[in-house]
Amino acid sequence: MANIVQSTDLTKRRRGLSRRLPTRGPSNIILGIIAIVWLVPTVSLLVISLRPEADFGVSGWWKALLAPSSLTFSNYRVLFDQGFVAGGLLDSLMTSIEITVPATLLVVLFACFAGHSLVFGRWRGRDVVFLIVVGLMVVPVQVALIPVVQFYHELGNLFGLNPYGTIPGVIIFHVAFGLPFGIFLMRNFMSGIPKDLLEAARMEGAGEWKVFYRIVLPLALPALASLAIFQFIWVWNDLLVALVFLGGNAHTPLTVFLYDQNHELQANYWIISTGAIVSVIVPLIVFFSFQRYFVRGVLAGAVK
Amino acid sequence: MASVVLRNLTKQYSGNNAPSLDMLNLEIADGEFVCLVGPSGCGKTTALRMIAGLEDVTSGEIEIGGRIVNDLPSRDRDIALVFQSYALYPHLTVADNMSFGLKLRKVPKAEIEQAVQSAAKILDLVDLLKRKPAQLSGGQRQRVALGRALVRDPAVFLMDEPLSNLDAKLRVQTRAEIAQLHHRLQATMLYVTHDQVEAMTMADRIAVINLGVLEQYGTPRDLYNFPNNQFVAGFIGSPSMNFVSMRINRDVERVHLTGMSADSNIKVTLTDEQSDILRKSDGSDIVVGVRPEHLIEGSIDHAGFSAVAKVEVIEFLGNDEHIHATSDETDLVAILNAHSSVARGDSITLSAPLDTVHFFDPTSGLRLS
Repeated sequence: MANIVQSTDLTKRRRGLSRRLPTRGPSNIILGIIAIVWLVPTVSLLVISLRPEADFGVSGWWKALLAPSSLTFSNYRVLFDQGFVAGGLLDSLMTSIEITVPATLLVVLFACFAGHSLVFGRWRGRDVVFLIVVGLMVVPVQVALIPVVQFYHELGNLFGLNPYGTIPGVIIFHVAFGLPFGIFLMRNFMSGIPKDLLEAARMEGAGEWKVFYRIVLPLALPALASLAIFQFIWVWNDLLVALVFLGGNAHTPLTVFLYDQNHELQANYWIISTGAIVSVIVPLIVFFSFQRYFVRGVLAGAVK
Repeated sequence: MASVVLRNLTKQYSGNNAPSLDMLNLEIADGEFVCLVGPSGCGKTTALRMIAGLEDVTSGEIEIGGRIVNDLPSRDRDIALVFQSYALYPHLTVADNMSFGLKLRKVPKAEIEQAVQSAAKILDLVDLLKRKPAQLSGGQRQRVALGRALVRDPAVFLMDEPLSNLDAKLRVQTRAEIAQLHHRLQATMLYVTHDQVEAMTMADRIAVINLGVLEQYGTPRDLYNFPNNQFVAGFIGSPSMNFVSMRINRDVERVHLTGMSADSNIKVTLTDEQSDILRKSDGSDIVVGVRPEHLIEGSIDHAGFSAVAKVEVIEFLGNDEHIHATSDETDLVAILNAHSSVARGDSITLSAPLDTVHFFDPTSGLRLS
């Protein structure tokens, strides 16, 4: 008990010290300015989405801040009232979710399995396999687009199952290209888990599966959460893969929906701004719900 | 509870020339507390991990409770291992750490609760059950690691240097607690340590291992009084035994031993019987061992060891002093009463009675009786 009291005293003292440090004020101001500059485009997008369509092009968006009463949700209402028609905002939102959620879950799942096997498995050539996986990380997506499309068509010719133009086709591509980084991240994180913990669990009667989900998985949660966020945002924001692989499909993700609003001579800014705000909300929800898993020092107290 | 028998247990890692463990034979009786002791890298932990089922057996047999377990996975061997690092599950509370194994075995909840409570009571962990390992001190973590083994009520407890991460004071305290625990449970325990004091204080029997080979297996008293060879003699006891290479002097009426130099300050006088034995033996040299605690200041009138030595360092320990002295360029350590008036630079005579002097073969290192 005496020890505990002493240690809290110490942290208090340390906190007091850092409060007196002179460097903190200016750095906070600089960081604040950077944050504001960073936020300006997003705020402008939000304001534009809340202005009546007619106002656009008449005055700058910041003018709306002087007359907040002119702001309206009419843009949102119009787009939402369309309902789930193919090519509409809500339909695109659903399509985005249909692509992103499985593509994220599958990558997280496979990366966890692979990481566990690469770190704790007892098979030869683990390091070689890992090096190959790391090597795959440098393959640019663009290089693989045409070959994969051809491969999909070939599958169609051989088995009558052509993933091209379908949502599973896009998901497969995202999973394949998300996995190298996912495996890299999970393997490196899991290699920090002391092997003693697994041996202890095995001795207590846990089979490999129980070791995985009772010990390794809970301890890998921080890495898992970061991987989920990375992969989710990467897939959510993807335009290229969806454009190439969904060619001709009536259901398109939000990115393609927004892209389609750019016409040759004029763009539907009211739809783009409104759709962009809608498309930002989902990743934000994902980020904040996974954020609580970013715990420092999950392994504290395990050994020594 | 069960006995453990190791027969010709050998571990050979690929890429190593010498086996890490070479033909280890050991019998541990039911309820016995046995320490495997030896310097770092001697193979003692390897032996323990093989018994635990964490390392494959290259050759030989492991028998636990009358059944050969070589090919049984760890979980079916009915053993519990306390890791040197404790290996507590950091995401689980103390109670969950302790009940982990029982839950896996689908033991009824009430039984688990009772086992955890009684182990917590024994180890004084009742107030800590809801904490996570990160919120515990080193000693408390160590007790949780013990508790995790305890709740399983295994046939054999295996412990891999469980005290090495504790500070000196806590180590002494926990040492006593483990000894007490053993007494209370009457369980078979196999304990690995590099610290001979731990082994001497806790074990019923000690197995001394060096370079993968079992040097001696016996009670602490046997090992101390009758070490098989020079390695065991030097390893058991603290400070370790003094060794002096000496020449057998057969040219006189009664054989005696002198230091290697011509005008040596070290001498061992022998009994008539020993003199006769040595007269008939071959070889000109012999290694003499004397424990620091058997050396006294001043000469003795009966047969024994004596050396005139110059005091180099005096370590004051309260009740005693450790005297580091040199004689014929050989270092000697003696434990003398702190009231002695020895000072640095003094020339003193250190002697020991013959029944406390050990003799070893200079080439094989084996004890000569």
